[in-house]
Amino acid sequence: MKKLLASALVGALALGMTGCSGSGGQEREFEGQELHLYNWGEYMGENLISDFEEQTGATVNVDYFESNEQMYIKVANGESFDVLVPSDYMIERLIQEDLLQPLDKDKLTNLDQLSDGVMGLDYDPNNDYSIPYFWGTVGIVYDKTKVSEEDLEKEGYNIFLDTKYKGDIYLYDSERDSFMMALKALGYSMNTTNQDELNKAYDWLVQCVETMEPEIVTDEIIDNMAQGRKALGLIYSGDAAYVMSENEDMGFYMPETGTNLWSDAMVIPKNAENPELAHAFIDYVCNYDAAMDNSSYVGYTSPNEEVMNELSGEGGDFEGINAYIPRTGNDKDEVFKYDEQTRTIIAELFSKVKVAASNVQ
Amino acid sequence: MKRFSQLAIPYVVWVILMILLPMLLILFYAFTTQGNEIVNFTFTFDHFIRFFTDHDFLLILWRSLVIAFKTTVICVLLGYPIAYFIARSSDRVRNILVLAITLPTWINMLVRTYSWIGLLSEGGILQNLFGLQDTELLYTEGAVLLGMVYNFIPFMILQINTSLCKMDSSLLEASADLGANKLQTFLRVTFPLSLSGVISGIALVFLPAVSSFFIPKLLGGGQFFLIGNVIENQFITVGEWNFGSAISMIMAVIMMLCMYLIRRVDEHNNGGRQKKA
Repeated sequence: MKKLLASALVGALALGMTGCSGSGGQEREFEGQELHLYNWGEYMGENLISDFEEQTGATVNVDYFESNEQMYIKVANGESFDVLVPSDYMIERLIQEDLLQPLDKDKLTNLDQLSDGVMGLDYDPNNDYSIPYFWGTVGIVYDKTKVSEEDLEKEGYNIFLDTKYKGDIYLYDSERDSFMMALKALGYSMNTTNQDELNKAYDWLVQCVETMEPEIVTDEIIDNMAQGRKALGLIYSGDAAYVMSENEDMGFYMPETGTNLWSDAMVIPKNAENPELAHAFIDYVCNYDAAMDNSSYVGYTSPNEEVMNELSGEGGDFEGINAYIPRTGNDKDEVFKYDEQTRTIIAELFSKVKVAASNVQ
Repeated sequence: MKRFSQLAIPYVVWVILMILLPMLLILFYAFTTQGNEIVNFTFTFDHFIRFFTDHDFLLILWRSLVIAFKTTVICVLLGYPIAYFIARSSDRVRNILVLAITLPTWINMLVRTYSWIGLLSEGGILQNLFGLQDTELLYTEGAVLLGMVYNFIPFMILQINTSLCKMDSSLLEASADLGANKLQTFLRVTFPLSLSGVISGIALVFLPAVSSFFIPKLLGGGQFFLIGNVIENQFITVGEWNFGSAISMIMAVIMMLCMYLIRRVDEHNNGGRQKKA
């Protein structure tokens, strides 16, 4: 008798459960489907993925990359992803090599929420292939108690050659950013292909590592500057925003001689298995809630204008932090262009800069 | 006998696929131009000429050899007494100590090196513990040396320990019977007999230390390049596989030379002892 009762109970429960899933809520659009996302590490808001899964019923598989080049190799080798988040110059390369599919703008309803400053940049003038994810600039993070603003204004990037700050600076371990700094310090375009100008930039960097005892780091700069360990460093604006929100002695300065305006954007590769869902994801990220989650958690500037204004405005997480709002309107600011030949030259020269830096010790 | 020799076939295939073929590819890249395309290439010595005519590269090579040498010397000086102590302990203690030396090597080297970053970093545990707030610990040559010694010393200790344990204790008794004191016994019996362990330990420490690239990268910072970093950089960032392969070849030759020299010393050592005996 007891057994019978138990089985009846189980049966009733089971019925109840199936009944529930049958009648409860309307069918979600992408129930059971899968999105394969390839993004930078530490680059998403805490609830971004779970909220999207909740809303659409899809499952998101995320892979992470550390550099555009690493991502490129996988994509070029034919591995299938639905959405990638490469940087500007890499998007240009992917377009050139015909690895991306054009976006169907009818499926993207939230595009009008994005700032003009980040739309239509040179790498994809009509945003046919890419929708911005984060954007920003590169500049100098400095300790206001150790560095005079006058020096910064007078010297710009050349402050990295000012022996007053010897042993007190960080360089960023990336050939593109280092050469951007050197080329801008010398007044050239950062997209120059002129060998003579590149050589001069190389000399500038060698002078820097030979006379200034810099530490060449990557993301360590974020925590170390937040704790005020050195006076000066080259830094991404989004990281500077974090540093400044942690330590109020820190400032962010963009030299008048120009800087790199960059953007990481979402694209759909040609071999994506679920472009429908990919469009839904891109549209979802542009919308206010997701963009807010992303930007307030990661600290990089949101392309969503309302989010950007709110976070930098009164009471926002980045109130009064100039690094959060990318500079627009300086015509010396440039977006990186993809040019394989120059990239190789710069990589080679930067490897020699590091060799020189090692040999100083 | 013939039946058994066929058992070696999978092994031979393995060696060809996993060791010989990659080595041949490196050799091929080292002497050719034209990037990664194997279809179009020309033979050249340019990569080698470029390496040996560039003062900076040679200096890096020299510094790598010096730091590997320092690492080896420290490993011998620290490792020998430890190995001696372990070998002289009772069986039970010895097993525990050997396990204690081996255990950390089961954890990935990279992870263990990362943990040193935390210990050495500014405001990190070591600085606070020893009141060294003003001395920079991380991103110095000392940090790199520490990382290398830390990672490679188990190989030295285990090698020396094995050779000490293998030693016939009746030799020590004989030495004592003949009137030698403990120091004399050590210098004239124990140490010469353990030398083969020291020498294979040196090979196991020096060779990986010369070519190590992640220890200098993590503990020395981006401005601390050793030859391993130059090679890594050529492959990963610059994309010059040919030049990277050429430097790898040069390193392979240097290492084979070192192996040869080490083996010669070892043979000489064994031979000398036999003559005396």
